[in-house]
Amino acid sequence: MPKLTRREFLKASGASLFLAGLPLPGFTKDEPPGTISVIMLEGGMDGLTAVPPFGDPNLFKMRKSLTPENYLKLNSFFGLHPSFKYFSGLLAKNNASVVHATNFPYTKRSHFEGQNLMQGGGLSPFSETTGWLGRALDLAKTPGRSMSLDMPLLLRGAHENDNFFPASIRNSGSLTTDLINMISNAHAKEGSSVFNKVSKKSTQKDSVVPRDPASLAKYAGKAMAMESGPLSSVIKVDQFDTHASQGADEYGRHGERLAIVDDIIAGYKEGLGEAWDRSIILTLTEFGRTVKENGTWGTDHGWGSAALLAGGAITKSRVISKWPGLAERDLFEDRDLVSTIDYRSVCAACIENALGLEHDLIADKVFFTPNLPRVYDFIFS
Amino acid sequence: MNENFRISQKIGLMFLPDSPIPNDIKQWATQQLQSKSPALGIKRIRSYHKSEVSEWPKSLQPSLQKRDEMFWAFKENNEKFRRNMPGFQTEADKSRNRQENLMEDLDALKFAHRNVYGEDQLRLRFSSFWANHFRTANIFDNGNHIGHAIEEAILANINSDFSNMLYKVTTHPSMLIYLDNIYSAGPNSQEAIWAKRNGRQAGLNDNLGRELLELHTVSPSVKYTEADIKGAAKILAGWGAEPGRISGDQLISLSERNRKIKEIGGTLNSWDYFKTNYAEPGNKTVLGKTFGPGKPALRQLTDFLADHEHTINHVTFKLAQHFVSDNPSHTDLDHIARIWRDSNGNLDQIHTAVIELAIASKEPKFQWPMNWLFQVVRLSGANGFVGWEEEQHDDYNDNIMRTRKIFEELGQGFWLPGQPNGYSSDKAEWLSGEMFERRIRFATSLYNGGFPTQGVEDIMNRIGVNTVTRELVDSVKGGRRKFVALMCSPEIMGLENA
Repeated sequence: MPKLTRREFLKASGASLFLAGLPLPGFTKDEPPGTISVIMLEGGMDGLTAVPPFGDPNLFKMRKSLTPENYLKLNSFFGLHPSFKYFSGLLAKNNASVVHATNFPYTKRSHFEGQNLMQGGGLSPFSETTGWLGRALDLAKTPGRSMSLDMPLLLRGAHENDNFFPASIRNSGSLTTDLINMISNAHAKEGSSVFNKVSKKSTQKDSVVPRDPASLAKYAGKAMAMESGPLSSVIKVDQFDTHASQGADEYGRHGERLAIVDDIIAGYKEGLGEAWDRSIILTLTEFGRTVKENGTWGTDHGWGSAALLAGGAITKSRVISKWPGLAERDLFEDRDLVSTIDYRSVCAACIENALGLEHDLIADKVFFTPNLPRVYDFIFS
Repeated sequence: MNENFRISQKIGLMFLPDSPIPNDIKQWATQQLQSKSPALGIKRIRSYHKSEVSEWPKSLQPSLQKRDEMFWAFKENNEKFRRNMPGFQTEADKSRNRQENLMEDLDALKFAHRNVYGEDQLRLRFSSFWANHFRTANIFDNGNHIGHAIEEAILANINSDFSNMLYKVTTHPSMLIYLDNIYSAGPNSQEAIWAKRNGRQAGLNDNLGRELLELHTVSPSVKYTEADIKGAAKILAGWGAEPGRISGDQLISLSERNRKIKEIGGTLNSWDYFKTNYAEPGNKTVLGKTFGPGKPALRQLTDFLADHEHTINHVTFKLAQHFVSDNPSHTDLDHIARIWRDSNGNLDQIHTAVIELAIASKEPKFQWPMNWLFQVVRLSGANGFVGWEEEQHDDYNDNIMRTRKIFEELGQGFWLPGQPNGYSSDKAEWLSGEMFERRIRFATSLYNGGFPTQGVEDIMNRIGVNTVTRELVDSVKGGRRKFVALMCSPEIMGLENA
């Protein structure tokens, strides 16, 4: 992978970039300074549809039916999908950015290896039993919460994590803490610790929450804004795997999924309230999709994609990219957008910003890659 | 738990309150593999009494062709709604269209009934294992097929060979639709040539080719290349019939639809549907082996993959992890793999080896949410699911939720949207507060609304609970709380040893 320099970043970002002197190395504070939220896009989000690089003449040669006509121009090169109505407003307010041609350094195109890596953050698929966010939260000694029925790998390993997904089961009444505690006591090890979480939750009175992703995000935002709330949350959106009839605009299959992401970001903003100012939200996806449209009006598994960043922690909106090009000779194995920015660096920057951990510590203990490039200044300066 | 129940929990679904307990559990278990049974279920719920169990009516188990026609009719009717035609305007009309033509809710209920009332508990557990291995999900146009695939491609082949099941599943419309193969056309196919000439689009889609290698057979451990995946996709190109409407803007009659379907694929049987025009001419190569042109190549490919050493190791691990241990030993894995090779993939022999190891290993296996629910319903004699008549007529019992909703709330079910890798058999994937909270809620719900016929004491005595469970239940006061404590005990959840 080409080494990333600040100059190249600047050249391709297509947006003005405020340059300060070299920053001081990050330092650990007594309290983590912000919150970090992750939206996992399962199935492989198509970065070229979400943030179409209309300035690349090959985009329309490679793709006939996948680019929305009514994209919003971000600059002279990149556009934004019309599904991102709320997100575009945040960009205008300098509270959001896009990273393009990025992903984890995984090129084998398997959903399940890719999802394991984007959550586990390990050096090879299935090598880790904890997630990168879980390890980061553990280092910061702060809890995280997943807005899902399961506990995603991403958050495992946190010193204290829990999940939330409102139940709706007839005749199941209110849960009584003492019964749950007794059950918990009868269990050993994992069982006991999980039932303990149920017991804790049963004392909370605010469990009537609609289950749509935006409401969950709002709920998560509210929880994170509270004094002793979690500092991190995770929401998953599935069905990005559009091999057939992908569509182009906001009514297409991919566009509908992107609109959900937009709703989630809006939900977070509303729920976080004043805590928005110290928040960062980032998307994750296991791979981008093939540059060339396939034979069934869709796209197959690729590599590089785009990522959305939003939150008050961002004070200058930009498109951060070292554009690799879409000509056939520029593609990875003649088919995929090359990832020129290691997305682990972006994750590390968000951790550094939200949890106040030093980059070197994150690189080493969270991503097991001591020489992971630091891209903090490109996002947060 | 006593040995009988320990085993029926680990590899079965627990003995029903009135079924006899075998003298020789090991012999019983292997014989179970042959115990074919029609789908059993209940017509209606009887509160306070045992609901009457009988065979599912044939009329509610339509053939594949009928299912295809029903789905076509559903979509054709939707078009009539769009045009606001008479008889296609009200919410009642819409609901009737769904009830008459969509099978997914009834199929999900039949699956639940089989698991709750069936005496063929081991076959059902293995059937669920394979349905999960060959996961197809309810994405878009697949609702009328999933149940048919589980019954006819999997359960009906549970005593067959792996290679046979693999071929039957790969060619089943449920798989071909779910993984987008139905539109895939070889890059040099007649269809692709015509499309190019007319400014249309047609070409390859590698979704099923990839998952066939990655998930269903050899796994990434074989280090296949993109060329291998393309090779498999080219062999698959042409397989599968388009579900739903096939007449663009026009409304057509069923006989016209059938004539067209037959014209394109030569048959009305969507399980044997190969569109020659979409097929890629010439030879294809997958993992170093060359396959000739035409329809027979797919069977040759699946047979080749079924026997592959990497397939044997991959699927052996999954079987052992599901039934024997979260971390199966090398000795156990080698044993199953050896039986697999020696028997040329005979499923009876492979399943028997798995059963023997599951019995020999004293390690408990954490039970999936759905299997736990089936087991709790069976142990307690409660009503867990409505009858088919109630499901069919939207005539819901106040106490029992819609079947679809039950699976949604459980967070597991074959009719829910999902990824083709299926549900994990590793306990670690299920340890979450919300998942465990659901167990408390479902146990509560079954006690309150399911009218269990078996008392907590009777259940405990019958299955021979361990001291931890007994002490837990004894320490709790009240019938409902005792019931919940028992069903959420580590022992019944499969978390710790009997």
